[in-house]
Amino acid sequence: MKKNLFYILIFTFLLILSGCAADKATDSSNNNLEGTIKIVDDLGKTIIMQEPARRIISLYSAHTENLFALGLDDEIIGVGGTDSYPPRVVTKDVFDYRSDPEKVIAVNPDMVLIRPFINSSCPHFVRALENAGINVVCLYPDTFDDFIPYINKLAQLTGREKEAEKLINDFNRELCEIESITNKIKDKKRVFFESTEVEYRTITNDCMAANAIRIAGGINIASDAQPIKEGSSIASYNLERILDRATEIDVYVAQKGSMNAGGTPHAIRIRPGFDTIKAVRENKIYNIDEKLVSSPTFRFAIGVHELARFFYPEIFDDLSKFKDEDVISRQELAEIAVKYKHKPVFTPNSNYYKGKKEGHVYGGFQDVPVDHPYFNYIETAVLSGYIQCENEKFYPEKQVTRDELAHMIFMLFDIKDKPNSLEIKDIKNCKNAGIIQMLCNNNIMSLDEHSNFRPESHVSGNDILEYLARAERLYN
Amino acid sequence: MRLKNVIALLLSFCFTVGILAGCGGNQGDSQQEDQGHQAQKTGTDKKAILVVSFGTSYNDTRKACIESVENKIKDTFQDYEIKRAFTSEIIIKKLKERDNLVIDNPDQALQKLKDEGFTQIVVQPLHIIPGVEYDEVRAVVAKYENEFDNIVLGRPILYSKGGEDIPDDYTIAVEAFKQQLPELTDDTAVVLMGHGTHHPANAAYVCLQSVLDDMGLAVYVGTVEGYPSLDNVKKRLKNNQIKNVILMPYMLVAGDHAQNDMAGDEEDSWKTQLKEDGYVVDVYLHGLGENPAYQDIYVQHVQDAIAAGESH
Repeated sequence: MKKNLFYILIFTFLLILSGCAADKATDSSNNNLEGTIKIVDDLGKTIIMQEPARRIISLYSAHTENLFALGLDDEIIGVGGTDSYPPRVVTKDVFDYRSDPEKVIAVNPDMVLIRPFINSSCPHFVRALENAGINVVCLYPDTFDDFIPYINKLAQLTGREKEAEKLINDFNRELCEIESITNKIKDKKRVFFESTEVEYRTITNDCMAANAIRIAGGINIASDAQPIKEGSSIASYNLERILDRATEIDVYVAQKGSMNAGGTPHAIRIRPGFDTIKAVRENKIYNIDEKLVSSPTFRFAIGVHELARFFYPEIFDDLSKFKDEDVISRQELAEIAVKYKHKPVFTPNSNYYKGKKEGHVYGGFQDVPVDHPYFNYIETAVLSGYIQCENEKFYPEKQVTRDELAHMIFMLFDIKDKPNSLEIKDIKNCKNAGIIQMLCNNNIMSLDEHSNFRPESHVSGNDILEYLARAERLYN
Repeated sequence: MRLKNVIALLLSFCFTVGILAGCGGNQGDSQQEDQGHQAQKTGTDKKAILVVSFGTSYNDTRKACIESVENKIKDTFQDYEIKRAFTSEIIIKKLKERDNLVIDNPDQALQKLKDEGFTQIVVQPLHIIPGVEYDEVRAVVAKYENEFDNIVLGRPILYSKGGEDIPDDYTIAVEAFKQQLPELTDDTAVVLMGHGTHHPANAAYVCLQSVLDDMGLAVYVGTVEGYPSLDNVKKRLKNNQIKNVILMPYMLVAGDHAQNDMAGDEEDSWKTQLKEDGYVVDVYLHGLGENPAYQDIYVQHVQDAIAAGESH
């Protein structure tokens, strides 16, 4: 199997090199015996199944996420307690490997997916499932190169090889697109990546996050850091070593999530001695959800894109493609708002869904599924209050009205009213009347020759960029 | 309180008469003895003030809002040792792991004071209302009641509405708050973000609002986890035709709640919610601990606790 893995790796590598035009990705179904599924899991156990799993419990968030990505839903009968993506996870029963294995046995799964950490920390739990005859499969890609073979194993176990092939192609294409841009950048940004706030640790140079930095065009200044223990992606570093290289750090990225609970930009900025760090002085401190860069899922491509936005906002948040007379849709407006503000895309953690929510809940738009091309822009713009929505639909392709645009501009800036109150004849027809009055008093948006605002008329990219520029001159 | 004062007066009268007359009954004698003992001990008495707060993991906020109060207490009560304790175990753990900064919880701090031979203790919480955490501190103080010659607990900012010989904490708090209040135009209001709680002491926020109203201030109290909520505040803003809002935390420190729930950029922050309703919003990101007049209130509460301890 090791040999197979090697070939798969080489093949995948060639695939990427050859311009990402893969027709057939690593079709490991060739390994199957006739009519049966056979893989070796990451504990070296040979798994043989007569047919794809139909009642799956996933006890690791990345497995859960990938199963959903492969198009499974009804087949997923249970997930782990900290799983937070995709939003559909909240509809699933939760199982915990630290509690009674009988709960898992009772629902009769035909596959329980775990990772090596669960096997080593709760061996009794795993043995109890196995003794009950449950098919326990342990998978975890240790390095970036193991990701695609890992996805292929998941696909085989669930009979989703075709879906996997498409996802892998899209994934490789997205990474290639980013890399083709960052490869051309001569003056690369030097980056420190904080993996844990405790002892200011960083990452090893072969882990997912280090590869994310590389593809996004960053230079990891701590690439010599050694793992805290063998096999770990977390590497020792310390305050002194960071401060020694203070003037070299262009961008400071701290991952957030269960591994690193602290380290908001504010908390990082005020650490003793950190004012000598270039990134701190230039306000280039960012948080990234660890699930986007340190977890083996397809959202890794989003993580890489986010890092590229942090490193090179002038390229990745560039709005010049909207500079024309075309009328802008609501989905494009979401992209404009998020890019204009350089706002990191919203990602939920497991606490997000707890408690009562007022207003829109992440992932709740019927017309914007998680694989919608504008999903992250739309969710982020709505959850930041930039764009209004009244019900469970966003209407992504609907054209933007001047009324909606006024609201967005008001939310993007800290606009104050002016004493000179303009007369707006159709102010009664405006939904955001107070905001529109302020924007007109400030001469950010203007009236037509009859002193009408025309709240329902549509706006072009040129208009929006012009209004943003006016607001910026006054308030930034 | 009145009865207590009368008794104290009588006692001191008896005592003075006793000394002057050079004689007296049994009671006078024992009182004299006590007093003599007390005077003898003053030189060797080890006295400490334990300043207790929830804590914060932000180093700058800790300096501005907690150390500032501790320093003022230190300057005022120079014959006392000043010690610090936090009630949040999560923050204690985080500071230990991250900064190697060891901070005690109230129990550990009192145990240490006992081991170090302190005999006179004042525990002054930096809390705003006498809620859950204040109850917890009170319980720890009760546990150590017999471990020291004297241990007393100071009161939080909002405690009593006052009475004869009892200070009106609410009026004092509002007067002190005026120090950080800008001049307000007709269409501008200050919205306070208090913490709020399910504990009955949550009523303190409503009482505070009532006193603010009495003084004719356009300051509206809301809470994150209690009553009044931001929705209640929104109604007041609308009814009073307010256009500009200044958000201020009504908390000791401008920590996570102030940075995120109040002034953050997300949809559910108070700033975003108010902006969405069309208000022009400014934020004032300073905890009450930064306001010198609030520091003075804590100093006064320590003073009152010491006085109460002495009258025992």
